[in-house]
Amino acid sequence: MTMKPWVWAWAAAALAFSATLLLTSGRGAGELAYAALSFGAFAAIVGLGQMLVITLGPGNVDLSIPACMTLAGTLALKTMGTEPGTAFVGVAVALATGLAVGCANFVLIWLLRLPPIIATLAASLVYQSVAIWSNRGLRIKPPEGLANFATGRFIGVPNVAWIALGLAVVVWLLLERSVWGRWLLASGQNARAARLAGIPVQAVRAATYLSVSVFAALAGYLLASFSGGAALNMGTEYLLMSIAVVVIGGSSIAGGNSNVPGVLGAALFMFLVVSMLNSYGAGAGIKSVLTGTIIIAIVIAASTRRSRQ
Amino acid sequence: MKSILMGAAALALMAGAVHAESPTASKRIALSNNYAGNSWRQAMLKTYEETAQAAVADGVVAAADAFTTSENQTTEQAAQIQNMILQGYDAILLNAASPTALNGAVKEACDAGVKVISFDSIVTEPCAWRIAVDFVEMGRQEVEYVASRLPEGGNLLEIRGLAGVSTDDAISKGIHEAIDTKYPQFKIVGSVHGDWAQDVAQKAVAGILPSLPDVVGVVTQGGDGYGAAEAFAAAGRPTPLIVMGNRQDELKWWAEQRDANGYETMSLSIAPGVASLAFWVGQQILAGEDVPKDLTVPFLTITQADLDEALKTTPEGSVSNVSYTLEDAQAVIAGAK
Repeated sequence: MTMKPWVWAWAAAALAFSATLLLTSGRGAGELAYAALSFGAFAAIVGLGQMLVITLGPGNVDLSIPACMTLAGTLALKTMGTEPGTAFVGVAVALATGLAVGCANFVLIWLLRLPPIIATLAASLVYQSVAIWSNRGLRIKPPEGLANFATGRFIGVPNVAWIALGLAVVVWLLLERSVWGRWLLASGQNARAARLAGIPVQAVRAATYLSVSVFAALAGYLLASFSGGAALNMGTEYLLMSIAVVVIGGSSIAGGNSNVPGVLGAALFMFLVVSMLNSYGAGAGIKSVLTGTIIIAIVIAASTRRSRQ
Repeated sequence: MKSILMGAAALALMAGAVHAESPTASKRIALSNNYAGNSWRQAMLKTYEETAQAAVADGVVAAADAFTTSENQTTEQAAQIQNMILQGYDAILLNAASPTALNGAVKEACDAGVKVISFDSIVTEPCAWRIAVDFVEMGRQEVEYVASRLPEGGNLLEIRGLAGVSTDDAISKGIHEAIDTKYPQFKIVGSVHGDWAQDVAQKAVAGILPSLPDVVGVVTQGGDGYGAAEAFAAAGRPTPLIVMGNRQDELKWWAEQRDANGYETMSLSIAPGVASLAFWVGQQILAGEDVPKDLTVPFLTITQADLDEALKTTPEGSVSNVSYTLEDAQAVIAGAK
């Protein structure tokens, strides 16, 4: 049995979890697990999207995730305007925003032939400006039922974690069991060979850039409902987070190799490691240094394993 | 003294009465702002716009334009300041991306005869004016309030702002100084960075709570109190005394708790209207008044008694604000002399 690269992310998450509980001699395990599942869910959803894009191969990355989250959250909450029973209208607005953002990104990449890094970064300034213009940074609360759903739980597990898990299963099935998944992996491994083999590479890329924006929009909608309203800076930390969970999770940054379980483990780890360092009272500087060091260690561990396979 | 955002009309009347023949009627003022991506900065820009439009309409100044950099970067803001010098503005109001990195551009402006007035995030260049908030005092006052409410002391959780920003260090310094020197009955058992954002604070507090003993109070920096309250509720812990930071969602939560169970706290922060104070200080400098280089703006405190009034005047989802007038600026200048 070969060691899967995603084992490292889960092992690291379990270690961070245990180290935090060591401090409290076991007290608060349930609380910490619940918090990790809740907040890990948002990182997991954007991470799954980013993973698909990174799988497309070198140079493919979506830097418009934070702006897309902010825009979708802002527009959805503004449309709902705290009216009860509008949760589905809100979700429709958020997903439509995600689709529009994804289309715009892909048009820039495909028609104008801009490198994805430049295209998504430049476009994100536009999305962020639209978010500012549409509501001038005012925080509108989600309808109460939606807020209760976003912060609620089902069989002890947070609802947002169920959603993230559901999406992960869908993505995993698509990647491992569908033709589309094979096409995506083939395009990422060698776009030229894939094209010559008759794979519609551009269609695969389009679908992927649409997916990442829709995932980001969904995450933005859920996060805004979870934390009592959309804020203009709500997506900021999810830019590096989305890339970090992909890499820590054992997906290849060079593309062509994706890893769904790893993204989930890494999303939990990213929350738990910060909680652990906070609990041990580390200052901001030490915290950043240690987080960086730990991430590098995991990536090295995961990649040496892979090369031995 | 301060009229709580009564709108452009009231301002226009006041300004018009004072400036029948303005000595600065031909002068042009520009606002150089480094960031617009949160509700506080949006409120700041809105207040500035209202003050500036009224002043231009009354002929107090010829122009008072606002410019915001897109990426919150010092190089971009330095270039922006250089453009403003070339465009011939007489004064630049500056909310700076860095206390030191813009000093070169600020010096160039001074050498070209342009008055530079920095506020909120100030610069250290000696030729510029500085309208600063005593953030250390803000931290100290938070602890004093907590101590007055909980004289027997206990464990506190500290929520800090954005790591590496001088404001964050100053508020935290005030909090720690007050505890070390005057109130040893309190102990800070945990400290997290909430980046002045509810969702970030909620996440950070939820992560550290399981490892904390009972917490009696939370000292904050503004924009993080509601997130902290949510995290305590989600963890099933009793709500401690949380010092708030003037955001409307914080005030609303406070009022709901007060009505439900008599919850009491206080709220304090710097008002985004400080941009309008900077405008009037700039106008006074251009009018030839003798203005000291270092000015202090008071922070805006909301107590249990003011809560309903503050909630009424704060727009939904925004932050409590005051629009400063020429008289306020003159009082601040006189106070610094």
